[in-house]
Amino acid sequence: MSEDKPALIAEAAAVDYEDLFETAPCGYLSTDGNGRILRANRTFSDWTGFGGDLLAGRHFADLLPIAGKIFYETHFAPMLHVQSAFNEVALDIVTADGRHLPVLVNAAVRRDGDGSIASIRITLFKSTSRRAYERGLIAQRDTAEANILVEREDGELREQFIAVLGHDLRNPLAAIASGVRLLDSEVLSERSRKILTLIDGSVVRAAGLIDNVLDFARGRLGGGITLQREAREPLEPVLRQVVAELRAIAPDRTVDSIYNLAEPIDCDRVRIGQLVSNLLGNALTHGARNEPVRLNAQTHGCVLTISIANGGPPISEAARARLFQPFYRGDGGVREQGLGLGLHIASEIARAHGGTLEVRSDAAETVFTFTMTLMQEV
Amino acid sequence: MTGRAGEDRGVAAIRKITILVVEDETLVRMLGTDMLETAGFIVREAGDADEAIAILSAEDDIALLFSDIDMPGSMDGVGLAKLVHIRWPAIRLLLTSGRQSLSPEQLPEAGQFMRKPWTESALIGNVNSLLAA
Repeated sequence: MSEDKPALIAEAAAVDYEDLFETAPCGYLSTDGNGRILRANRTFSDWTGFGGDLLAGRHFADLLPIAGKIFYETHFAPMLHVQSAFNEVALDIVTADGRHLPVLVNAAVRRDGDGSIASIRITLFKSTSRRAYERGLIAQRDTAEANILVEREDGELREQFIAVLGHDLRNPLAAIASGVRLLDSEVLSERSRKILTLIDGSVVRAAGLIDNVLDFARGRLGGGITLQREAREPLEPVLRQVVAELRAIAPDRTVDSIYNLAEPIDCDRVRIGQLVSNLLGNALTHGARNEPVRLNAQTHGCVLTISIANGGPPISEAARARLFQPFYRGDGGVREQGLGLGLHIASEIARAHGGTLEVRSDAAETVFTFTMTLMQEV
Repeated sequence: MTGRAGEDRGVAAIRKITILVVEDETLVRMLGTDMLETAGFIVREAGDADEAIAILSAEDDIALLFSDIDMPGSMDGVGLAKLVHIRWPAIRLLLTSGRQSLSPEQLPEAGQFMRKPWTESALIGNVNSLLAA
């Protein structure tokens, strides 16, 4: 008895090993050095539908589809010869009924005493859901890349559209402005001259709107507001020109202006002109009609401030918080107040200069103040 | 609205200098023509490059080409200026655009660029300095 026990245990262990080999939750193949199958386990036979004797003697590569065969010949077999092992290779096995079974393959080589390959052990793991997951990831990536491409094309198209729109809108405006200048030199009745002034004001207003819309669109497209700083020419004539243009928009209103500027001022004069134009336009639209709009531009030390003040009811606390947001159009009331981009663009221009645009509003007056620090002269 | 550059009138009138204005926007062309005529120049007008070439081929007294850049037709203003510079090298070139800014290297040799919208003093000033060169 005592001598039988180890024998029984050994037999039981052998049976268990045999069972482990045959019914393990993975496929086992043993091939000779050339990849000819010597033995396959039952799991693999069950997966593929090939009986054990149908597999014996066949070449491992015969179980692979064309692409797999090529991969086997060009990568799999050479790597085994060189490295003796090759792991985590994704392959498809063609089953007895012609289906493709996705598997993940590990292989290891066993060598003879003289170093030549005696046999190859191959382990195969079913990877149907893993493969589906990977395919899903690839599909998602392809879709995402395609979307990015479409978005980029859309973006380019938008940019072109905006450029063309800007040009096409400015062209007829330039034509009208030219017509106004031509008529201006003719002998005109009082009434005609008044009409001409109003047309001119409308042209200035439309041109300002186009500039603001284009700037906003460019900003949204990532371009932002770009500056062309130029300290060689003075700023004051630009501001005077803007005030003259805005007077044409509202000929019945008074605009008082004070200039106290120590030139040269290092800024983008066209942009600062646009900022002032937007603030003046805002003041003329929303300010009390019977009170003047007051512009005060001054340098004090190395600080430039430009403030524009108007009378009329104060801006509510709630409205003040949203004033500089794009498309904000006030507390209702006046219908004809544009797109609500003027203050937004003005604040963006201030920001681009490293400056600020602030509003103070009470019963006495509403004041917008642009402040920027000037570069110290070296 | 803008002051007339009357001081240039006499000089140009005596010399009978002819300028070809090329601009597809009629009112803009009329304004440019008006400013140049007021300054004493003789002006020919064309609405595009093809018309301009027809005038240049028919007349031999044009001293300066003043052309818009963005124009419909077979050629834009830059193309026209390059062609004129090759075929009629004596003609001075002044180009203008509200859409793009040209750097000197994009211009034909001896050409000048002026951004739109131009004022009367800028136009006459540029024309005179080109003619004096």
